[in-house]
Amino acid sequence: MSMSEELNERRKLSRREFLELGAAGTGLLLLAGCGGGQGGGGQGEIVVGSVLDQTGPLNIYGEPMQDSTKLAVADINNKGGVLGSKLKLVSYDAQSANEKYTEFANRLALQDQAVVIMGGITSASREAIRPVIDRTNTLYFYNEQYEGGVCDKNVFCTGVVPSQQLDALIPWAIKNIGPKLYVLAADYNYGHISAEWVKRYAEKSGGEVIGTDFIPLEVADFRSVIDDLQGAQPDVVVSLLVGGNHIPFYRQFASAGLGESMKIVSPTFGLGNEQVVLAPSESQNITVAYPYFQELDNPTNKEFVDRWHKTYGEDYEYITDSAATVWNGWHLWAEAVEKAGSTDKDKVTEALESEITFDGPSGLVKLDGGSHHLIQNVHIAETNENKGFDVIDSQQSVPPSYEQEVCDLIANPNEKTQFTP
Amino acid sequence: MQADDLINLALSLLTNISVLVIISIGLAVIFGMMGIINLAHGEFLMLGAFATLTAVRAGLNIWIAMILAALAVGVFGLIVERLLIRHLYGRLIDSMLATWGLSLILIQGVVLIFGPSTQGIRTPLGDVRIGDYSISQYSLALIVAALVLLAIVFWVFTRTPYGIMARASTQLPSMASAVGINTSRTNMITFAFGSALAGAGGALLAPMAGVVPNMGQAYVARAFMTVVVGGPGVLTGTSAASAFLGSLERVVSSLWAPFFGQAALLVAAIVLLRFMPTGLSGRWGRQL
Amino acid sequence: MSSGTEATTADRKSLAGILRRLPLEVAGMVIIVVVAALLPAVVPEYQALQWTQWILYGLLALSLTFIWGHAGIFSFGQVAFFGIGGYTYGITAINLINRTGETFSAVLAAVVVAALAAAILGYFMFYGKVGDVYVAIITLATTLVLFTFMESTAGPKYAIGEALLGGYNGMTGIPTLSYGWPGSPATPLSVTQTLAIVVGVAGIIAFGLHILLRRPFGRIVAGLRENEDRTQLLGYDIRRHRLIVFIIGGSIAGLAGAGYAAWGMFINPAVFSLQQAALVVIFVLVGGRTSLLGAFVGAILLQSLSTSLGGSDSVFTPIILGGVLIAVVMLLPQGIVPTVSAIAQRLVPQLRPRPPQLPVPTSPPEQLPLPTKSDRVSPQSGPLEAIDLRKSFGGLTAVDGVSLTFAPKGVHCLIGPNGAGKSTFFNLLVGRYRPTSGQVIFSGEDITGREPYQRVRQGFGIKLQVASLYTNLTAFENMWLASYAKIGNTKAATQRAIEILSWLDLIPQANHFAGTLAHGQRQWLEIGMVLATEPVVILLDEPTAGMTREETLRTVDLVTLLGKHASVVVVEHDIEFVRQLNVPVTVLHQGRIFAQGGIDELRRDEQVLEIYLGRGGDNVEA
Repeated sequence: MSMSEELNERRKLSRREFLELGAAGTGLLLLAGCGGGQGGGGQGEIVVGSVLDQTGPLNIYGEPMQDSTKLAVADINNKGGVLGSKLKLVSYDAQSANEKYTEFANRLALQDQAVVIMGGITSASREAIRPVIDRTNTLYFYNEQYEGGVCDKNVFCTGVVPSQQLDALIPWAIKNIGPKLYVLAADYNYGHISAEWVKRYAEKSGGEVIGTDFIPLEVADFRSVIDDLQGAQPDVVVSLLVGGNHIPFYRQFASAGLGESMKIVSPTFGLGNEQVVLAPSESQNITVAYPYFQELDNPTNKEFVDRWHKTYGEDYEYITDSAATVWNGWHLWAEAVEKAGSTDKDKVTEALESEITFDGPSGLVKLDGGSHHLIQNVHIAETNENKGFDVIDSQQSVPPSYEQEVCDLIANPNEKTQFTP
Repeated sequence: MQADDLINLALSLLTNISVLVIISIGLAVIFGMMGIINLAHGEFLMLGAFATLTAVRAGLNIWIAMILAALAVGVFGLIVERLLIRHLYGRLIDSMLATWGLSLILIQGVVLIFGPSTQGIRTPLGDVRIGDYSISQYSLALIVAALVLLAIVFWVFTRTPYGIMARASTQLPSMASAVGINTSRTNMITFAFGSALAGAGGALLAPMAGVVPNMGQAYVARAFMTVVVGGPGVLTGTSAASAFLGSLERVVSSLWAPFFGQAALLVAAIVLLRFMPTGLSGRWGRQL
Repeated sequence: MSSGTEATTADRKSLAGILRRLPLEVAGMVIIVVVAALLPAVVPEYQALQWTQWILYGLLALSLTFIWGHAGIFSFGQVAFFGIGGYTYGITAINLINRTGETFSAVLAAVVVAALAAAILGYFMFYGKVGDVYVAIITLATTLVLFTFMESTAGPKYAIGEALLGGYNGMTGIPTLSYGWPGSPATPLSVTQTLAIVVGVAGIIAFGLHILLRRPFGRIVAGLRENEDRTQLLGYDIRRHRLIVFIIGGSIAGLAGAGYAAWGMFINPAVFSLQQAALVVIFVLVGGRTSLLGAFVGAILLQSLSTSLGGSDSVFTPIILGGVLIAVVMLLPQGIVPTVSAIAQRLVPQLRPRPPQLPVPTSPPEQLPLPTKSDRVSPQSGPLEAIDLRKSFGGLTAVDGVSLTFAPKGVHCLIGPNGAGKSTFFNLLVGRYRPTSGQVIFSGEDITGREPYQRVRQGFGIKLQVASLYTNLTAFENMWLASYAKIGNTKAATQRAIEILSWLDLIPQANHFAGTLAHGQRQWLEIGMVLATEPVVILLDEPTAGMTREETLRTVDLVTLLGKHASVVVVEHDIEFVRQLNVPVTVLHQGRIFAQGGIDELRRDEQVLEIYLGRGGDNVEA
C-alpha cells in the first residue's frame, strides 16, 4: 500500500504480503475443493439437462422455450417416463451470455451427469455448447430455427431450416404476389445465409431479387430502408429481420403506407412474437411460413394448446414455433430411448438415425437419419386480427433438402462442421 | 436529383437528428450539469415508453399519455435521486456502478410486470405524399417534438429561478452554496428534470420503436456519444452534436449501408474528441 | 513489529521464516507455482472449467485495475484488447496448429497484436493530450466499432487463412491450448491442466505487477495518478509513461482473451459489447479499484454469483445482481478487498504497514544541497531570454511584445497590477502556453517549442501559483519523486530527499501526508521539490501567496539563497516581500514592460503608482 514501505530496502516478503499470498493460495485451494450445483438424480431417476436464456435480451425466445421444456418433460413423465423411470430436469439460465452456455453445458455433462442436453437459442450459443459436448461425448439437441448446415454426430437439430421454409415460401410469393423481390436481412450469419437462399429459390421459380439491404441487429431506424423500397418498388418484400430492434420496420412500413403496393413475406416474423408487439393494423398482410402455428387445426395441437393454457394461463401471449420445436425435440428423444432400450449415447444415436417419427402439434415429424435434421410440415399463414395467424397453405413433410445433400452422418460419422451455401 | 428526392433527404436528415436530440437531451442535463454517469438512461427511456403504453391502453389520448409518461418518469427520477443518486455526487465512477445495477433491476422488473413481449402502440397520424415518396407524418412530428424539448430546456434554465440556480450550482458548486442556494434541492430537481426529459424521449419513441424491456440498450451508447461530443453546453452541445453525428450517420447509411452509418458515427466521435477534447460546445466556450 | 530476538529466531527456523527471507520475487513466485501445481489434484473437472473462466476474467479485470487504480487511466476498452487477443489466438491457432503442433505460439501472437493495438490507440490518445473522461469515451467507442465491425463479418469471404471470422455467430473450432512439435499432431491440455497453467500465469502476472508497482516505475505512475501536472513539472514524460502502462494493460487483456478463446474453443463479437465493457469496470469496482487481488475477487465473486443464480429456477437473477451492485456502492465504496483489509488491519496490529525507517542525518546540512553528486548529464547554464514574446487569446492580447534577459545567477522579480500579463508571461516561460510570436532562448538554444517536462530536464525548476503537491503521498514520497527525476537511482534519491527535507526543517513531517501540512510548509516542500530537480533556472509564481509574515520572511532568505546558485524569476504581488528581496524588478502593464529598476525607486515613481492604484488614466480594470 504505502509506497515508501519498500524504501527500507528490505526486499524480502513482508509479513503482510506473506499472509496475503498465503491466504489467497489457501483460499483458492479450499474453495476449489468445494462442490456446488443441483446434484444428480434421485433413485431411479434419469437426469436430463436444458440450458436456455430465461433472462437477458434473448428471453423473448427463451421464455416460451423454457415453458415448453418443463411441459414436455412433465408430459413424458405423466406417460410413465422413459424405460420405466421418471425424468429429472436440470435446467440452467444462461442469461444471454455465451460463456455461461459453455459453463452450464459442462456442468450438466460432468457434474449433473445428464444423459442428454437440450438448449441454445442463437447459433452463437450452439457453437459455445458444441465443443463441450464433443469433448464430454454427450448427446445434444438444438431445438430452434436457424440458418442450417450443421453436421455433427453428437448434434440433432429439430428447428426448421431455410431450405424448408424458403423453399415453401418464396415460390408461393412469386406465384401469388409477383416476381420482383427485395430482401431485407439482419446483418449477421443467419441473414446472409438466408438471403443467399432467397436468391436461389427465387431464380428457381422465375423470380428475381432486385435489391438486398443488410441491417445490423442494433439498428432500429429504417428510414433509409423505406426510401430504398420506395425507390425500387418491388412486388414482394422478403423480411429476414430479427430481434426487438427490427420490429419498428413493420411499423414504419405500415405508417408509410407501403402495404398498398408491396407485400411482406418473412421466415422470421412471429418467432419473437412480433405480431403481439405490433398492433394488428401494423402487421396486416404479412405472410409467414413455419411448421407450427397455435391455430393449427389437428387433435394433437388442440390437446397441446389446452394443456399449455391450463398450465400457463389462458392469456399466454402466443405459443411460438420455437416452443413446438422444443416439444418435438424432447419427445423424439424419449421415443429413441425407448426404441434403443437404453440411455447410452451411441445406442440412442443409432435409434435416432433410424428414422424416428413423432406425432406432434405441428403434425407428423420425422428425423432424417443422415442429416440429423427434421422432415416436417411447413404451413404458410397470414397475420390476422387477433395477434395470431391464419393458415392459408400447407406443405407436407418438407425435407431439409440442403442438409440432406451435404451431410450424411451415417456414412461419415466424423464430420464436424457447418456447411454454408 | 429531383425536388422530392431533396425534400425527402432533408426531412430524413432532420428526423435522424431529432431522434438523437430526443434520446440525448435528458442525459445531457444529468451528465452535463451534475456529472453523474447514468448508465440506466436507456431504461429511463424504456420506462417512458412503457408508461405511455399503459396510459394508452387505459384509453387516454396518445399525446396526453406521453406528457403523463414524462411526468411519471420524472417523479420516478425524483425517488431514485433521493434514495440512490444523492449519495453519489462527486463520485463519478461509483455512479456508473450503481446506475448499472439499477438498469439490471429496471429491465427485469419490467419483464416481470409486462412480460418479455407485449403489445405496443401504433404510430399515430398517417402518412403524407411528397412526390414519389410517402413520409410518415409522425417522423415530422418528431422534428417538432425535438424543437419543443429544446425550447423547454432553454426556458427552464434561463427563465425560472430554479434554472438559474441550477446553472450556478453546476459552474461553481461551492460558491453556489456559499450564496445560499440549496444545492441539494437543486440537484434533486435537476435529476428529476433530466429523468422527465428521458421519459419524454422514450414516450416519443414508443410509437416508432419496438417497445420491449431492453429497448434502452440500443440507445444508451449513442446518447452518450452525442452528449460527450456535444460538450458541457446542454443546449448548444446536444444540438450541435446531434446535427453533426445524425447527418453523418444518415448520409453514410444511404450511400452505403446502415452498418457503415453506425461505424461512421462512432469513428466520428473518436476523431472529434481527439481534436476537441472538451466537445463542440466546450470549444466554442458555450455554457448552455 | 517483531519484539525481541527469541521470536525472531523461532521465526527464522520455520518454513514461513525461510520463505520470507528469500528475495521477494522468488518467494512469491514459488508460492504461486506450488499452488498452481496442486490444483489439478484438488479440483474436479467440471469445476476446473468454471474456475478457468473466472480467473481469466480476473486477469482481464487485473489489467484495468493496473491502468486505472494505479495509473489513473480510466479505459472502457480493455475488452477491446481482450477480444483482439481472443480473435488473434483463434486465427493463429486454427492456421498454425497443423504445422507447428502447438498453440502457444498463438498465445504469443495474441499478446503481440493486442500490445500493438494498445500502442496505436494509446499513442493516438496520450500524445494527443486527451483528458480523462474522453479517454473513457474514446476507448468505449473503439470497442463498439470493433463490435459493429466483427458482427458483420459473416460469410465465407471473411476468412483469414483457414479461420472463418464468423460474424455474429463467432469463430468456431478454435483449438484449445496444445503442445507438441512441428510435424506431429498437437496434444491438447486437459481441463485441469489448463486451469493450472491459467492460475500460474495469472498469479505470476499479478505478482509481477505488484513488484513493478514498488519499483521506481510504479511510483512514478502513482505520482502520475495523484497529480499529473506536478509529475510533468518534475521532468517526467507523462505521455510515455501512460503509453507504457496502457500497453502493459492491453497486453494482459490480450493474454486473457487468448486464454478465453482457448477455453471456450469459440469466440464471438459479444466480447466487444457495451455490457462486457461495463462488466470489467464492475469487477474492478466491486473488488476494489486499488487492489490487484481485488480484481480477481470481484470477477470471481460476481461470475460465481451469476452462475449459481442461473442454476436456480429464478427469474430474479438480474434483480439480485443489480441489488448486489448497488449494495456494494453504498456499503463498500472502496471495494471488498480494501474494506476487508482495513478492518483486518484495525483488528490485527501486525498487519498494519510499518512507518518507513528513514536514514536521518545527524545534523541538518548547513549549506544548500546544490549542486548534486548525481552522475546525470549536467545541465547547461546560460541566460534565459524572452525575445519579443506575444500571446493572444482570441481577441485579447495578454502579452504584447516582452523582451527580457535573466542573468544566470540572481533573482529577478516581475510585478504589475492585475491583468498585466504576468501569469501569461510566466506560463510562456514554463512552456504551458505557446507564444503567438516571439522566442524563448535558453543558453543560446531556442526552446520555444519545448514541453514543460523537457524544459525541466534541461534545468528549469517550476513552482506554480497553486500549490501542486501529491497530497495523498507523504512529504518524503513527494521529495523522493522529485529527486528521482534527476538522479535516477533509488538509494541516492532517498538520500537526497532526506537532505533537502532536513535542510527545510521538514524532517518531523516526513511521514505525514502532504495534504496535512500547514500552508507555509507545503509551499516550502514544493520549493524543496523544485530544488531537487537541480535547476539552474527557477521560476516561482507567487511563492508567498497565503503565507504569514513569519513564513514570508523565511521565504525571503530561501529565495535569496537560491539566487546565489541559479537564475530565479519570481512573479509576485506582495510588494513588501519584493522589497525585502532587494533585487532587480520589472513592472508589467497591459502586456508590456512598463518600468524596470530597483523596487525603491519604482515605488516612488508616479506612473507606477498610477497603474497600480488606477489614479486617473484609462487603465482601470480587473
